[in-house]
Amino acid sequence: MKPEQIVEATLFASQTPLTPSELARADEGLSEQAVEEAIGVLRARYEADERAFQIYQLGDGYQLLTRPEFAPYLERFDSIPRPPHLSPAALESLAIIAYRQPIGRIEIEDVRGVSATSVLRTLLDWELIEVVGRGEGLGRPLLYGTTEQFLEHFGLKSLEDLPPVEELPVALGAGESPAGGGAAHPSPTAGT
Amino acid sequence: MIANPATRPPGSPIGIGGESFVVELDRFQGPLDLLLHLIRSQDIDVFDIPIAHITGQFLQAIEGGLDRMPLERAGEFIEMSATLVRIKAQMLLPRPAKFEWEEDPRAELVRRLLEYEHFQDVVHVLQTAEAQRGRHMAKGYIEARPAPMIARPALQVTLEELLEAAARIPEPLPPVNFRTPTATVTVGEKVSLLRRLIGKAKRVALDRLIKPWGTRAHAVAALLAALEMARQQVIRIEQTKPFSPIWLFALGNGDGEAGPDDPGHETGMPVQEAASERGAE
Repeated sequence: MKPEQIVEATLFASQTPLTPSELARADEGLSEQAVEEAIGVLRARYEADERAFQIYQLGDGYQLLTRPEFAPYLERFDSIPRPPHLSPAALESLAIIAYRQPIGRIEIEDVRGVSATSVLRTLLDWELIEVVGRGEGLGRPLLYGTTEQFLEHFGLKSLEDLPPVEELPVALGAGESPAGGGAAHPSPTAGT
Repeated sequence: MIANPATRPPGSPIGIGGESFVVELDRFQGPLDLLLHLIRSQDIDVFDIPIAHITGQFLQAIEGGLDRMPLERAGEFIEMSATLVRIKAQMLLPRPAKFEWEEDPRAELVRRLLEYEHFQDVVHVLQTAEAQRGRHMAKGYIEARPAPMIARPALQVTLEELLEAAARIPEPLPPVNFRTPTATVTVGEKVSLLRRLIGKAKRVALDRLIKPWGTRAHAVAALLAALEMARQQVIRIEQTKPFSPIWLFALGNGDGEAGPDDPGHETGMPVQEAASERGAE
């Protein structure tokens, strides 16, 4: 069997994204490197053949998904219940966590000006965020960060897919930058 | 027109210059969201917020809604009102003509507003990403038909396997015979036994009438037999201390099988029979 056939079969049978190391388990002769190459070959082939699906990267994993232009056709079918769209409140907190992680509840509330307790519970329930540690401040507050599930839910490869802080309208250069660290530079805050 | 907060005379009523507006509080995530809406919808320069004007609008906007909100949420709006009023007061304080703010009282608020707005942009990015992701369907998107899913595991058994399994079920054990204690021993039997033993040994432990059988019925029958024979003065019962062995001694008139002049012998039998009837019940 060719590596791309094995990878294709495995991706076809999976309902969740699979990482290269998971895909490599399918055969002894399959290295992670070979998996990545196989995925490249398959992608080019699907593209050339105008297949209705493609291999997409979600977080660290790969998944066979239909192309967006076919959504209207598929939406006519009864689908299994999927996570509902997140509420604006949940998205606000998630946005703050994504850019400022690890971050505690108090800091999230400072930015939003409203309580975040119930929203955090919802996000934890959906496994979009997780506790990644404890802050130094009073009571050693829990610190939250985003999960693989977060990347999957939003179809992101990594946090770097989020627009860099500089590209967002930010202002007020006076000393303290309001926009903390970017996604790639989690600010070591929390506490106080 | 929006009045410059610095020129608005102190003590002027909080209000808005003519235009009235309706704000649906439920639409807003919180006080920052509302404040940002007020500023952006009126094209106000965020770096030069007419604080008295905005404060008035903010208070008016929350006025009707506060008592319909959960306490915590209301508190968040009230906290912002307090902040706005405080800033407004600072702005209204008389100051020299050529005064330079060390720090504009509005600066912290502006920083928070911009930070909040920044994350609103991120929210839009996430919403777009979420919507895009929603248009990619994975395997299993169309729900599997539920009926076969449930039935299949149950049907993964052939008739042969079922019969084989049935054959492996062991035969039921033969019904166990429980001895029914009422019929097995009578006081009469114990009396005869006691008579025989006492005829040979003169002294018998009550246990010897019970131990070899060991059931409660035997114990009761033996005890009743011993009592009966003691009443007939055939034996004497002795126990040296509580819980020590009970000994039955043959009485002087001898050989157990009472002699011809034994008065108890004739009267004894009917009683003994009565006792054995009782024991058999």
